[in-house]
Amino acid sequence: MSTLLKVENVTIQFGGLVALNDVSFSIEKGSVLAVIGPNGAGKSTLFNVVTGVYKPTSGRVTFDGTEITGRPSYEVVERGIARTFQSSRLFSDLSVLDNVIIGMHTRTRTGVLTALFRPGVARREMDECVRKAESLLKLGSGDLFEQRYRPAGTLAQADRRRLEIARALASQPKLLLLDEPSVGMDETETDALVSDIIRLRKENPDLSVILIEHDMRVVDAFPQHVMCIDYGSRIAEGDYATVRADPRVQEAYLGKAAVHA
Amino acid sequence: MRQDIASSASPGKSAAVAFTVASQLVGAVFLYLILKADGGLQIVGLLALLGLGFFILEKQPWIAEQAMASFARVPLVSMITAGIIVVGFPFIVGSNTYILHLLIVAQLYAVLALALNFQLGSANIPNFATGASYGIGAYVSALLAINFGLSFWLTLPVAALAATLFGFIIGIPSMRTRDTYLALVTIAFGVVVQQLLNNFEWTGGPNGLVGIPAPSLFGHSFADPLVVFGWRLPSQANFYYLSAALVVVAIITAHRLHSSRIGLAWNALRADEIAAKAQGINVAWYKVLAFAVDAFLAAFAGTIYAFYVSYISPDNFTFLVSVTIMTMVIVGGMDNIFGVIVGAFLLTILPEKLRAFSDYRLLFFGVVIIGFLMIRPQGLFPQRMRRYGGE
Repeated sequence: MSTLLKVENVTIQFGGLVALNDVSFSIEKGSVLAVIGPNGAGKSTLFNVVTGVYKPTSGRVTFDGTEITGRPSYEVVERGIARTFQSSRLFSDLSVLDNVIIGMHTRTRTGVLTALFRPGVARREMDECVRKAESLLKLGSGDLFEQRYRPAGTLAQADRRRLEIARALASQPKLLLLDEPSVGMDETETDALVSDIIRLRKENPDLSVILIEHDMRVVDAFPQHVMCIDYGSRIAEGDYATVRADPRVQEAYLGKAAVHA
Repeated sequence: MRQDIASSASPGKSAAVAFTVASQLVGAVFLYLILKADGGLQIVGLLALLGLGFFILEKQPWIAEQAMASFARVPLVSMITAGIIVVGFPFIVGSNTYILHLLIVAQLYAVLALALNFQLGSANIPNFATGASYGIGAYVSALLAINFGLSFWLTLPVAALAATLFGFIIGIPSMRTRDTYLALVTIAFGVVVQQLLNNFEWTGGPNGLVGIPAPSLFGHSFADPLVVFGWRLPSQANFYYLSAALVVVAIITAHRLHSSRIGLAWNALRADEIAAKAQGINVAWYKVLAFAVDAFLAAFAGTIYAFYVSYISPDNFTFLVSVTIMTMVIVGGMDNIFGVIVGAFLLTILPEKLRAFSDYRLLFFGVVIIGFLMIRPQGLFPQRMRRYGGE
């Protein structure tokens, strides 16, 4: 198997604050990496560096054989990295369906001239988008398809997370970055989320997923490759059992005193 | 789940035809009455009626749902009805040139408001320079016609391209600034353009440009009365039909962009810029694009205006014009094509009709606007969800 994403010695500073300190890791095609760590450890910052929201102070990000360090977000998405946000960022005044269609932006071509002078071409492309979006909405758990004409802002929390994932998948990514997908879900919904991800991988064996998670229930479901970050540094990496047993990880989560007690 | 109810109660074909024809006729009659109205009492009465209508619409949202469903059911019938009304209106108005003048100005403002709607409505970019694009269109075409004898039809595209270039230029700072700061940048651009028009020698300075020749089509000069099947319409009717054609072009442009991925991208960056970037939308480019499309359409309106009044000066394109256009979009309903047009008509006709209140005219005008915004806080006709497929 080949390496899909490679992050090498990435450091990012905001003024005096070192948000990420010399972080390196890589992910293979078709695998899942779970990133854990306490709040404020730099997990979301890592996503922002990979997707081009932040430009790292130093270090390199290589995706699918091309260096993408500091490339603009729209180019990164075009290359095949899609993400969801920790605090779900849906287009709340647009319908569920429109949210997913917007996710296909990089896979559609209609420009101003086509839209104005070749409306037939533009409409066919849009019809195709609608069809694909509807099938994406039918795919996941929950009943997003039935709610497709609701404004996204009125969805329940679990549905918002599901819609974020559907929107991210709409761009046909090679790498999917999920930022705490289980936030606001109860146990049943979390289990449904886990089986959604498992099914997704079965259907697209080449799809790689990086998960930021606090819910160990989810991490436990993808135990092969886990990385722990604390204070911007990678402190442990390996399978779930190894990382969980690592004293530094326990320290990061429970505090020094608790571990040595 | 709401659409299930809507589709189960969707109107029958004949009911839809009756409704679309009747509602458009009522609208036309109302427009005619308000244009004809004379004296304060009549105006107040009509405004009260309009306010009541919107009040009912606000309290009973199903009326709007049913109306939309009817129009969607028989689109051809509604378009033909609208066409007949627009074409026939000057015949009913007859020789009243004042009403025709008001209608022409209202239609030009409808185009300007539709132009601004791409930015303010679709993308929530506060652009206070639409008046400047309007002015650039007017001046470029007038200068070409006066100095080089270019015909109206040739100046139209040239002026539009010149204004589009201007749109790109003001669009560039929009990549770096946003919200209030962007509004300030566009205000500055608008003021600069007006000052330049005022101070350049070749634009005629504060005196403006005089003697812009009337356009002609197939040998028929637009300065001559229009004679159709023995009906004699005043020369303003030429420009009435010309600006009506431009409104149609603007509606088609707005509709096609709105229902394509471009409209969706604008809506996305309006809702959440960071999320829009994460969907692969080149946010900076789409913002500049909105400026360019706005300037392009505004320049068309400017060109027609210049040839219509045959005299333009910097005073026609002040900051106040931009603010008026913005008010039209907000009162009419952001990102709703029909609403924006209604807003433009209302805000063009109202100040004229309130002349009966002489000194208190503008005060009353302000009160009416505030009144409508209180009845319909989202605009007279608010933004609607996109619908796909033959539902």
